Amino acid sequence: MRKRDIVPLVAILLAAVACSNGKPAANERAMTAEQPAAGDDFVRIEGGHFANTKSGYYGKEVAVSDFYISRYEVTQKEWADVMGGKPSAFQGDRLPVEMMSWYDAIEYCNRRSLKEGLQPYYVIDKTRKDPDNRSEHDPFKWTVTIQKGADGYRLPTEMEWEYAAGGGAISKSYTYSGSDEADEAAWYWRNAGERRLSGAWNWPAIENNRTQPRAVGGKKPNELGLYDMSGNVREWCWDWYADPELGSGTYRVVKGGGWMGDVGSAEPAYSGKFEASGIGPDQGFRVVRG
Amino acid sequence: MMRLSKKWTSALLAATMSFGLFAATSSAATDYWQNWTDGGGTVNAVNGSGGNYSVNWSNTGNFVVGKGWNTGSPNRVINYNAGVWAPSGNGYLTLYGWTRNSLIEYYVVDSWGTYRPTGTYKGTVNSDGGTYDIYTATRYNAPSIDGTQTFTQYWSVRQSKRPTGSNVAITFSNHVNAWKSKGMNLGSSWSYQVLATEGYQSSGSSNVTVW
Repeated sequence: MRKRDIVPLVAILLAAVACSNGKPAANERAMTAEQPAAGDDFVRIEGGHFANTKSGYYGKEVAVSDFYISRYEVTQKEWADVMGGKPSAFQGDRLPVEMMSWYDAIEYCNRRSLKEGLQPYYVIDKTRKDPDNRSEHDPFKWTVTIQKGADGYRLPTEMEWEYAAGGGAISKSYTYSGSDEADEAAWYWRNAGERRLSGAWNWPAIENNRTQPRAVGGKKPNELGLYDMSGNVREWCWDWYADPELGSGTYRVVKGGGWMGDVGSAEPAYSGKFEASGIGPDQGFRVVRG
Repeated sequence: MMRLSKKWTSALLAATMSFGLFAATSSAATDYWQNWTDGGGTVNAVNGSGGNYSVNWSNTGNFVVGKGWNTGSPNRVINYNAGVWAPSGNGYLTLYGWTRNSLIEYYVVDSWGTYRPTGTYKGTVNSDGGTYDIYTATRYNAPSIDGTQTFTQYWSVRQSKRPTGSNVAITFSNHVNAWKSKGMNLGSSWSYQVLATEGYQSSGSSNVTVW
């Protein structure tokens, strides 16, 4: 697990919070309920300090503001309704969308906002290469900035994601999101195929076992009622991945682990990384507002 | 694994025949073995006692079978005896493993079938009575223990096939040090390390004991 570069992250979070415009206007029923009923798409996350003792943010002077986060990973049906395509390697309306880059996720946020009468949260400039992007493998390097005051959909920050996955203010400090048992909380390489795999991680064995993402909401939810925050597909976050060795600007943060990789990456405190242009059958996302 | 430039499309549409068996000599998971057939391809792997395994394969997709250690080491001397090594087509007899942070997939290939792997040439290293060519390769959006990643492979490939049927060793530190001298630095966290038989769209047999 990497060491965090806490100060810049806090600065980014505070900037993001300062840019957001309070409460959402649309989807009032789902978005404003203190305890959304089953079937509601979004969960309101009460902000605060980290109560999860397993988080690197625990005991630190950092706090998260209130926000709303989707209960499930964005499904292929939700993707098709907004974007009109079917990019995923494993097809199914209730499966999480995958094989979409960080840029695709950003575009989804804006297009969904427009579709629902919200203000797009991101300003996307495809003509100007982002000078902060130092990736060797990213051919796009779009410049993406935040529209101050916009109320539309966006990606969670790394800190917001970890706070929500770890149970927020009512955290029970589980190892995985919602359980100490990986099999209870997460689809991952041992349990997401036709039969359970033992032994060491071995890609041909995983592939041969027909291992793949599963329909969202199939495992135990966490303390806040969020599903699949551990496992199934990794989820894009807004932030650059930063550590003392790599610096920042090469990768975006991915959280929660997926069906393919080692189960350690399903722990909420673990931060993975992936080029913003990267695509994979284990790479998806969920959206937030507020 | 061995398909250096394999993209996800081909991985998912074509290479559905794959098979794997790994066992670590230091773990209890040494009784895991599997016969698997599909579309005419067959892999029969036997997880023998101690560090022994054998595999017969016919018209397969990608598979990798091996024995070794759950946690790799840059200083390990890997001893093995390939009593049978008879690939017909594409196959490697190779030390194989991963490091994480940085994510690197590495190979020290002692023998092969019809195809000798290559990559971006970096130089040579002498070790254990032979000369190995050093290569790197990049795999884009490829499966890994960290999920889909774009990552680097390090290869040492013996210039001539190493004779089999007797006790031999791979002094891995020679390769690690040579790689380092070329700016090829392995990661700080060591995943498994196995002496593997890997095949792709081929037939053959092997019987290997590792210690």
